[in-house]
Amino acid sequence: MIEQLRQRARELLGEGTVALVIGYGRGNSPQATFPVFIKKADEVDRLVFNPFCRNNLAVYLTRKDIMPKGAVGLVARPEEVRSVAVLVQEQQFDPDKVVLIGVACAEPGKEGAACEMLKGRTLKELEAEVAERLKGRDPAQEVAAKVQELEAMTPEQRLAFWEKEFSRCIRCYACRQACPMCYCERCIVEKNQPQWIPSSPRPLGNYFWNVIRAFHLAGRCIGCGACARACPMGIPLDLLNAKVAREVKESFAYEAGFDHEVPPPMASFRTDDEQEFIK
Amino acid sequence: MAMLLAKKNLRALLRGAMDRKYRVVGPVREHGIVLFAEMSDPGALCLDELNTQNSIKEFFFPKTEKLFTYSLGKNDAAVADDFAPPRTVLIGGRACDARSLVALDRLFGWDYKDKFYFARREATCVITLACDRFDEACFCTSLGFGPRAAEGSDILLVPVEGDEYAVEAVTDKGRALIAEVKDVFTEGTPGAEKVAYPEKKFDLAAVKPWLERNFEHPIWKEEFLSCLGCGTCTYQCPMCHCFDIVDEGDIHGGARCKNWDSCQFALFTLHTSGHNPRPAQAARWRQRLRHKFVYYADKFGTEACVGCGRCIRNCPVCLSILDKLVLIGREAAAAPAQPAGAQP
Repeated sequence: MIEQLRQRARELLGEGTVALVIGYGRGNSPQATFPVFIKKADEVDRLVFNPFCRNNLAVYLTRKDIMPKGAVGLVARPEEVRSVAVLVQEQQFDPDKVVLIGVACAEPGKEGAACEMLKGRTLKELEAEVAERLKGRDPAQEVAAKVQELEAMTPEQRLAFWEKEFSRCIRCYACRQACPMCYCERCIVEKNQPQWIPSSPRPLGNYFWNVIRAFHLAGRCIGCGACARACPMGIPLDLLNAKVAREVKESFAYEAGFDHEVPPPMASFRTDDEQEFIK
Repeated sequence: MAMLLAKKNLRALLRGAMDRKYRVVGPVREHGIVLFAEMSDPGALCLDELNTQNSIKEFFFPKTEKLFTYSLGKNDAAVADDFAPPRTVLIGGRACDARSLVALDRLFGWDYKDKFYFARREATCVITLACDRFDEACFCTSLGFGPRAAEGSDILLVPVEGDEYAVEAVTDKGRALIAEVKDVFTEGTPGAEKVAYPEKKFDLAAVKPWLERNFEHPIWKEEFLSCLGCGTCTYQCPMCHCFDIVDEGDIHGGARCKNWDSCQFALFTLHTSGHNPRPAQAARWRQRLRHKFVYYADKFGTEACVGCGRCIRNCPVCLSILDKLVLIGREAAAAPAQPAGAQP
C-alpha cells in the first residue's frame, strides 16, 4: 500500500501536477508520525502511512505561509476528505489546486490495523466512497457513549463537569490551531475592541472560549478529534463537538463533509422558511 | 551516616507537612493525565509518570495572576494589592524543574524584583526527586547538568537500593522542613544510587555560535513547516516566561491580570499598523530557539531550556526541539566557524 501511495506522490510531483505533497512521515517511534512536506519526487520515500497517522492534514490547506503557488497534493484519510469538502463548501481555496491522495485505515490507532488506498480521485468520488465506508455510523460513534452519559446528567451536574474540565484550560489554543475549520485570520478570542471573551485563563473566560468555539463548529465539525488529541491538558473537547454535531443532524438531517455541493445549514436560508424560531 | 527516607514514608512526609499547615503541591492523576496540583490527601501522590504535563512554574508564575483589584463606589475608589502566598511544600519535580527556578530567579530579579514570584519562591520548599529513568525526550545531560543535580531544590531525594531515598538537605529552608517532620526520616548508610542518565545528544557549546551566525539559513524555512502555531510548547515549558497584562472588569470593579503569553502566536508581535515582523511560523520558531540559546544565555549566563522534554511530548505534530538541536549540532560540525581574522 505504501508503495502505491509513494508512486502516486512521485507521479504528481514528477509531472509537475503539484508543487508540494503533504503527508505523514515517521517520527522517533512507529507510533509517532508527523506531517511532512515533500517538494521533490525523489523524496517521496519519506512518506509513511499507518494506523498512528492521526493529525488532520487539511489544517495546512489554509496556511498562507506554507502553501505553494501551484497545486498541492494531500494525503487524505476520510477525515481529510471530509474536511476538504467543508473547506470547499466555504470557498477557502480553489478546489482545482488540491489533489487528494485517498487513504484509509480500518481501525485508526490500533497497531497492525489494515491500511489501504481509496479508489476515488476527485473530491466527489472520494466523498461518496467515504460516505459508503462510514455508512450506519454515528458521526460521533466513538464518543457517543460519553455524550449519552453527559446527557443523562442534570444541568447542575453537567455544569460542574465542564467547569472542572475547563479549569485546566491554559488557553494555548492548540485545539484551534489543530482544527482545519478554525481558519479565521483573527479569531474572536483575539479581538479586544470590544473584548468579547476574557483572555485570562479563568473559569469565565475558559467557559466562553470553549463553548463559543464549539458553537462556531456547528454543522462544520467532521469529528476528527484533532482538538482533543492536541489538548495538552486532556480536556475532552470532542464531546462538545459531538453533541453539537448530533443536534445539527437531528434538526437539519445534515452531517458535515459528505457533499461539498450542498449548502451548509448554518450558512444558508430559504425564503419559504417559516421563521417560527425567531420570536 | 546519612539521612534516609523509605519510599513508603513519602506520603507520611506529606501528611506531616499538611498537619503543620503547609499547602502541599505534587503530581496527581486527573482524567488520564498527571499534573502538578494542590493535594488534600497524600494518597493522591502519583509518581507513575516521569514528568508531569504542566511544569512547576505555575506555582511561582501562575497562568493568570491578579496584580491588583479595584472597586469604584459612588464617590470613592479603592485599590487592593495585598498578596501573601501560602507556605507550600512542592514535591515531585525533577532536577530539570528545579534548575528552571534558578534560571527564572535571574530573570524575575534582574532590573525589577517581581514581588509575586519571589514571595512564592520564599514561601515554597521544593523537594526534588532524582530520576531513576528517562525517556527519548529527556536531554538534561546535553545541557551540562544531570538528573540528580541539586541546584534549585531545597531538598533532593536520590533513589538508592533498598526502596529508599538518600536525603540531601540543600538549603536552610529544606533543613527547617526536615526538622519539622523529622520522625519520617532514618539514619543509615545509603545503598548504591539508582539514577538514570540520558545519553548526551548534542554539543551545547556549538549551538549558540551556530545560531548567532545563521539568522538566515534554509533550516528555518524547511524544518518548521508543520508547526501549527499553538502555545503548548511555551506554556508547558518550565522556562518560558512571557506574559501579557490585561485589565478585566467593568465600571464597578475589576482586576489587572498578568497572563501567560506565547511567542508562537501570530498575535504576539502583530503591530497596531498591521505589520508583523515575524510573519511566519518559521520566524517564530527561530525566535524561540534564539531566545533560549542566545539572548537568554547572553543576558543571564544560562540557557532558557532545561531539557525536561515537555514541549516534545506535548507537541500536537511531534516537532522536537531536541531533534532540531541535534540537527544544529550536526550543521555546526559540518561548517565550523571561521577562526577570527581568517579570510572568508
